[in-house]
Amino acid sequence: MPQMAGLDEGGPLFAQVADRLAGEIADGGLAEGARVPSSNELAAFYRINPATAAKGINVLADDGLLEKQRGIGMFVATGARQRLLARRRAEFTERYVQPLLTEATRLGMDTDELIAMIKDTSSERGGVPV
Amino acid sequence: MNAMIKVARYHLVMPVMVLGLPWATLAGVFAVNAAQGGDKAFRAGLVVIFGMFFVTGVQRIGRWLPFGLALGVSRRSFYAGTALLGVSMSLVSGLVIAGLQGIERATGGWGLSITFFRVPYLLNGPWYATWLTSFVGLSALFVYGMWYGIVNRRWGMFGLLAFIAVQVLVALAVSFAYSRSGGGALLLRPADGHPATLSALGLTGVIAALTVVCLAGGHATIRRVTV
Amino acid sequence: MTPAISATGLTRKYYDQVVLDDVHLAIGARTITGLLGRNGAGKTTLLRILGGQEFPSSGSVQVLGAAPAENEDVLRRLVLIREDQAYPDYQGYPNFKVSHALRAASFCYPNWDPDLASSLLEDFGLRANKAIKSLSRGQRSALGITTGLAARAEVTLFDEPYAGLDAVARQIFYDRLLADYADFPRTVLLSTHLIDEAAALFENVVVIDRGRVVLDTAADGLRGMATTVSGPVLAVNSFTEGRPVWERRGLGSQASVVIVGQISPEDRERARSLGLDLTPLSLQQLVVRASGGPPGAGSLTERTSA
Repeated sequence: MPQMAGLDEGGPLFAQVADRLAGEIADGGLAEGARVPSSNELAAFYRINPATAAKGINVLADDGLLEKQRGIGMFVATGARQRLLARRRAEFTERYVQPLLTEATRLGMDTDELIAMIKDTSSERGGVPV
Repeated sequence: MNAMIKVARYHLVMPVMVLGLPWATLAGVFAVNAAQGGDKAFRAGLVVIFGMFFVTGVQRIGRWLPFGLALGVSRRSFYAGTALLGVSMSLVSGLVIAGLQGIERATGGWGLSITFFRVPYLLNGPWYATWLTSFVGLSALFVYGMWYGIVNRRWGMFGLLAFIAVQVLVALAVSFAYSRSGGGALLLRPADGHPATLSALGLTGVIAALTVVCLAGGHATIRRVTV
Repeated sequence: MTPAISATGLTRKYYDQVVLDDVHLAIGARTITGLLGRNGAGKTTLLRILGGQEFPSSGSVQVLGAAPAENEDVLRRLVLIREDQAYPDYQGYPNFKVSHALRAASFCYPNWDPDLASSLLEDFGLRANKAIKSLSRGQRSALGITTGLAARAEVTLFDEPYAGLDAVARQIFYDRLLADYADFPRTVLLSTHLIDEAAALFENVVVIDRGRVVLDTAADGLRGMATTVSGPVLAVNSFTEGRPVWERRGLGSQASVVIVGQISPEDRERARSLGLDLTPLSLQQLVVRASGGPPGAGSLTERTSA
């Protein structure tokens, strides 16, 4: 849907709003102590129902990633970025590293071979040194 | 009460239509009459304004009800507010007719010997009698017209035909009963010298009673109208 | 908390035709709910009964705590915008103008905002001194939307109010509705068959099919509920194995299968590596699925299995 500025029908909108905000915090776009857009602002931007936007904000607030200053708005809590990055790392481990190790074992590779393979592939890509 | 005021204000968003039209029509007929020149013969020109009040009553339901209901008033308030408007208009118009009648008398028929605002037997007496009879007559026709509008909205063409048929039957029954009771002919224009069997005031009373019947009937009929 | 709108056992018949059949409904205050369904499903009749303009055959409705029909305490606080609203549309002189309609609305609705009305007229390019009789269908719709939004009624009912409006004008409507709703929350029930356009507005959706409520749920609860998996047949079969299936299509070596259930990030990875395309079913597609079919069969539960 073009008018939702990047949201899609793949899952609940409130969860997508929460994910995007979390992404901004993790990427450093929203610094700690910075004011988070209000639910009305988010709703206007994404062209969605304000209650849906509010629900997305509340998901992060319930998680302690945002804190409310009454009368002013929602702000990024201290330590939010670290927590999100740690969470991402944990997800990365579960989603990519675990299956990688499983598959490597199945192929009969040991850990050193796996590390060497990763280094070779990384330099081939000219990418970020691991 | 509040809702009735809203309804009256709604009707008056176009004041020309409701206030001016009957009078504009009357003025037209009067002008035609004047152009034809006057003689003592009575021409029924004044009946036009009575007819216009009937038409206005029909239209106030037919055209104005749908949006009226969309404005958040109940059907009964719409009825009451519209009837209130019609009765108020009749009150004022009746006074104007009485006034014009007075001027007509004073000027000897507008200097042209026209008898437009003087109707023998019905509107020929003192100004307050003229006012009363006109007021009742105009009100009667307005609410009568409203009832037609409601019947049409609710039951369409067949409803209208049935409505008229019932009235005809009732009228026949009443006159049959009356003649059987030996009351003699119900003459409205008795020959000179004979006393009228029904005075103008009495007739006004009968029409007032019929007006009340129309008010009750219209009010009851509008309750389940849908638009 | 009492719902702003509720219906219990609501039935409406015309002679022998049942238009609404035992409808039960509860709509919370200050929410935007979509009333969805095919043409002729009964949406218009339901809205008219809620707006006090039609009467139930049996059952009851309550709006703001009381039956709306002939009840001015309720009627004053609600507005129903109909696609086919009739006005006293005289033509020639004098004529009934847009300004007349808005003026009448201004003293009938306690929360009327004339500035919002003017700004909406401007947004839609509608001139206040135009005779209503001379308006195009789209312009009439614009007038209806203007009235409905500027009334700021506690309960605002829209019955497919966008007839004749192009996509740009419709988007203006959605945007203005959301903006005013954000500033002045109210209970909004909007019926539409252009579901995907309006989907993001709705907190909840109610789907009506042949006079019965077949779905009444949060919109977000539906999103992502079913997905079309398409690509090479073998890969598709491997991916969809063991999952409830709604629909299967094939053409040569390609297949397209609709499966039920949320797709996890792991699933996405797997699909990507298998060269499969995953497209979630849109709200519109889900609603179509919920309606139609033999009576009583419309539902979003499993109909066919893998």
